Amino acid sequence: MEEQKQKTAPTSGGSGGSKISLRPLQLSDVDDFMVWATDPEVARFCRWEPYTSRDDGLAYIAGTALPHPYFRAICLDGRPVGCLSVTRNEDRMEACRGELSYALGSGYWGRGIAAEAVRMAVAEVFGERPELERVEAIVYAENKASQRVLEKAGFTREGLLRKYVVIKGRTRDAFMFSRLSTD
Amino acid sequence: MEEQEQQSPRTSSGSGGSIISLRPLKLSDVDDFMAWAGDPDVAHFCRFEPYTSREAALAYIAGTVLPHPYFRAICVDGRPVGQVSVTRNKSPADACRGELGYALASGYWGRGIATEAARAAVAEAFSARPELERVEAIVDVENKPSQRVLEKAGFTREGLLRKYRVLKGRTRNVVVFSRLSTDVDS
Repeated sequence: MEEQKQKTAPTSGGSGGSKISLRPLQLSDVDDFMVWATDPEVARFCRWEPYTSRDDGLAYIAGTALPHPYFRAICLDGRPVGCLSVTRNEDRMEACRGELSYALGSGYWGRGIAAEAVRMAVAEVFGERPELERVEAIVYAENKASQRVLEKAGFTREGLLRKYVVIKGRTRDAFMFSRLSTD
Repeated sequence: MEEQEQQSPRTSSGSGGSIISLRPLKLSDVDDFMAWAGDPDVAHFCRFEPYTSREAALAYIAGTVLPHPYFRAICVDGRPVGQVSVTRNKSPADACRGELGYALASGYWGRGIATEAARAAVAEAFSARPELERVEAIVDVENKPSQRVLEKAGFTREGLLRKYRVLKGRTRNVVVFSRLSTDVDS
């Protein structure tokens, strides 16, 4: 696995020699963004509905991705194929934890890309934020594939939170996973 | 045990025939409020530092308690001895859950009062909010008495969340409990 030294987050080899890397998502990435953001398969276990207009995509990138404390495109050989983010809590009591979210284009599932991207992002965000000790992720009980991503990325499953969140009109149970800076 | 019909929920319980009830906390309750909110034993596992001034307490009641979606004084024979609250989330995806918080003056511990108040508050919150399906509570891993309160109040322990929040300068493990609107006591 080839690793290049660069200022932005390191790259890593995925299957077939493809390089996975993380970089900030930009407005110019909107067409790549729309590939996964419009896909009902990707949105299925997410809180959002599939995007239907490029303008909505641009608004999301401008309004959410650009100002976000940690938002990255997951790139394969330099091309955005998904995204991930880790929240930051301003309150001093809550600043030790951040919540991870991610989405990956369905054409790229099953190749270990999400797990590798999550590993890289978690390492980067722990490196950047000394007050952060816990990255958590909340995954709906039916979303087995995403649970496997987190397990492969070294997260610990802590419990089942019953009727935790409403997704696509129904209240769902969700698993809480976490990875600590000391894990 | 006497039960009176009135608009706010009443429970009758507690040792020696005391009547436990919930009602909104008011500015005029500030001196009773200071009895628990100024007590370091009460504040030990709480998010707040003990209140040392009446002004700070009044500011809290005015700024946080009065506008709160659900905040009640726990009263014993009509006198406030503690507080209980359930948060409300505005976003539609999160409106199904609310977080329970409570504090009780230390002189009233060990009598089942917090348990009774938690039961009553949860029942009232579920009935007032149709979209609410889950009330959760997050308790420090070392706060065993509060874990017992929740177990006796019919909550289910769901897991240990590691290094979840900072309390008094240290990162803490917490236990998450929940009760659903559909839960029935066995």
